[in-house]
Amino acid sequence: MSDIAVDVKNLTKVFQVGGGGANVFKQGLTSSYVVAVDNLSFQVKAGEVYGLIGPNGSGKSTTMKVVLGLMAPTEGHAQVFGLDSGDIRARHDIGFLPENPYFYRHLTGEETLKFYGKLCGLKGAELKDRIGELLALVDLEGARKRRLSGYSKGMLQRIGLAQAIIQRPRLVILDEPTAGVDPVGSRQIRDLVLRLKDDGISVFLCSHLLEQVQEVCDHVGIIFEGRMQQEGTLDELVSVENRYSLTLEDADPETIKEIEALISKTKGTTIAEQGHPKTTLERLFIKIAGEKEANKKS
Amino acid sequence: MKIPIFSISRTWTIASSTIVQLMRMKTFYFLIAFALLVVGIGFIFGSIDPDQASAARQLELIKKLSFGAMDLFAWLFAIVATALLIPRDLEDRTLYTILSKPVRRIEYLIGKLLGVLLLVFSSLAVMFCLCLVVLFIRENAAVAEEMSNLQLARGENIELIKEQISLIREQGVRPQLAIGALASFLKAAVVSAMAILISTFASSSLFTIISSILFFLIGHAHSMATSFWESGSNGVVKALTNLVKLFIPDFQIFSFSEGIVQGAAVAPHLVGSMCLLTAGYLFVFVLLSLVIFMYKEF
Ligand SMILES: Nc1ncnc2c1ncn2[C@@H]1O[C@H](COP(=O)(O)OP(=O)(O)OP(=O)(O)O)[C@@H](O)[C@H]1O
Ligand SMILES: [Mg+2]
Repeated sequence: MSDIAVDVKNLTKVFQVGGGGANVFKQGLTSSYVVAVDNLSFQVKAGEVYGLIGPNGSGKSTTMKVVLGLMAPTEGHAQVFGLDSGDIRARHDIGFLPENPYFYRHLTGEETLKFYGKLCGLKGAELKDRIGELLALVDLEGARKRRLSGYSKGMLQRIGLAQAIIQRPRLVILDEPTAGVDPVGSRQIRDLVLRLKDDGISVFLCSHLLEQVQEVCDHVGIIFEGRMQQEGTLDELVSVENRYSLTLEDADPETIKEIEALISKTKGTTIAEQGHPKTTLERLFIKIAGEKEANKKS
Repeated sequence: MKIPIFSISRTWTIASSTIVQLMRMKTFYFLIAFALLVVGIGFIFGSIDPDQASAARQLELIKKLSFGAMDLFAWLFAIVATALLIPRDLEDRTLYTILSKPVRRIEYLIGKLLGVLLLVFSSLAVMFCLCLVVLFIRENAAVAEEMSNLQLARGENIELIKEQISLIREQGVRPQLAIGALASFLKAAVVSAMAILISTFASSSLFTIISSILFFLIGHAHSMATSFWESGSNGVVKALTNLVKLFIPDFQIFSFSEGIVQGAAVAPHLVGSMCLLTAGYLFVFVLLSLVIFMYKEF
């Protein structure tokens, strides 16, 4: 058994837009290419939560589709637990929730899970038990017999998550699991992701909601225009080498004054920042995006 | 874990969900409309002018119209239902969730086709039975009337009436009518496979519906094309018509059943070749769809 859940190596995906693709001569003239993913490499270790973050159109969904075998890589490769992503056997170990998913609207929550369970080869009492278990997990027992056409965005996302893990996969891939979900709903989804992690399931998710990524991910990759900009554990990414921060809880003003006095006495040390802690990942993200934009203009 | 090349149970899961989907899309309203039409044809239309046409002629007309309506229903339903399935799955990203389960693409395609065909088959069976019931009632009513005439008749009139009765019986319920219904089903099957092929590269339902109907109509002009081709000497026209004939099925092969419905004798070799050709077309269309679908990127 491999301890690498997802292994993406030198992945490049080029889309041809326009041209139609039928006529070779015409292609050269009318079509252009979009490099959605550009020489991307990263690994998701078994049991960890990996977050890929990047702005719209940076190639997050494309990367996921290649990992799922829905698309073939133009160059490079993607493996899931040591199997090539195009291999159908890899699919047994993967659960996937696409971005803004719509399932069959005419099915009830229960029927939806039954359908996906059967596709994974589950049946009979085992499937029935699993459906009950999952509906309880995602808090949709009350909506069990309701059709999906009447589900809210948050409910759809949760039934989608249940559908993704019906066959107890070892890896769960979530494409923007909290897009369009209200704060309470996204908290629920975040808790579910943490539960998956506790159960030893690897999670590969992407998002541009950085606060949430920061809350759940062990490893983060920042992608911009298909290229990996920075990657590392959350601590590595957001810590600044020559800085050190101390977060106090319930400290009275006197203590803070004393600390400040102590620092002002020490030569070469200054207080660079003071106040209540902020989401640092967000700052990093904006910094990178800003630098890239500036580079493009110059 | 080993995953079979083709799993009947997964294909069946897709097929049965397709049937449920089409049923919940209220497609059976079609059937109700058909029932009203047939009953209307059988009882109201048939008795407008009893003196004008003989009873046998009336039965013939009823058959022609109701079997015609049945045929129209079958192929139109097959096209519309098929065209609604795959493009919609793609649009709603439901396809991603299905194909990210251990489902082979061939199982998905065949499952969809099977679902449509089963629904067309059962609707045809229901409509066929309805037609038979109406025909049976009309036939026996007409025979009973002639019988009552027979009791009053003398001399050569007796022969005449007996001939009338046998003519009526000929136009009544006959086993070979089932072959007419079978032809409608086979035609619908070929149209449906053609629509599947189109929908593997078309991205919208509307495009699939329109081009399927277009090809269906062109497919009735094979003999016309042949005569045109034989009379003309233009090489380009020849090549073009041959190309059309190669890719668009000859839907005329199913039309001999019109004769059967109207009381002509059954030619067993025609029925056999119709079945064989259907099987051939289905095979080729499914194979082509699969080739396109296998390499399709989502
Ligand atoms: N099927 C396709 N054909 C052509 N171009 C595509 C296709 N899919 C994606 N692209 C292009 O590839 C780039 C990356 O798209 P992708 O969907 O992976 O971005 P993303 O990071 O998921 O963005 P978002 O946050 O908006 O979901 C975009 O420029 C997009 O226009
Ligand atoms: Mg995306």
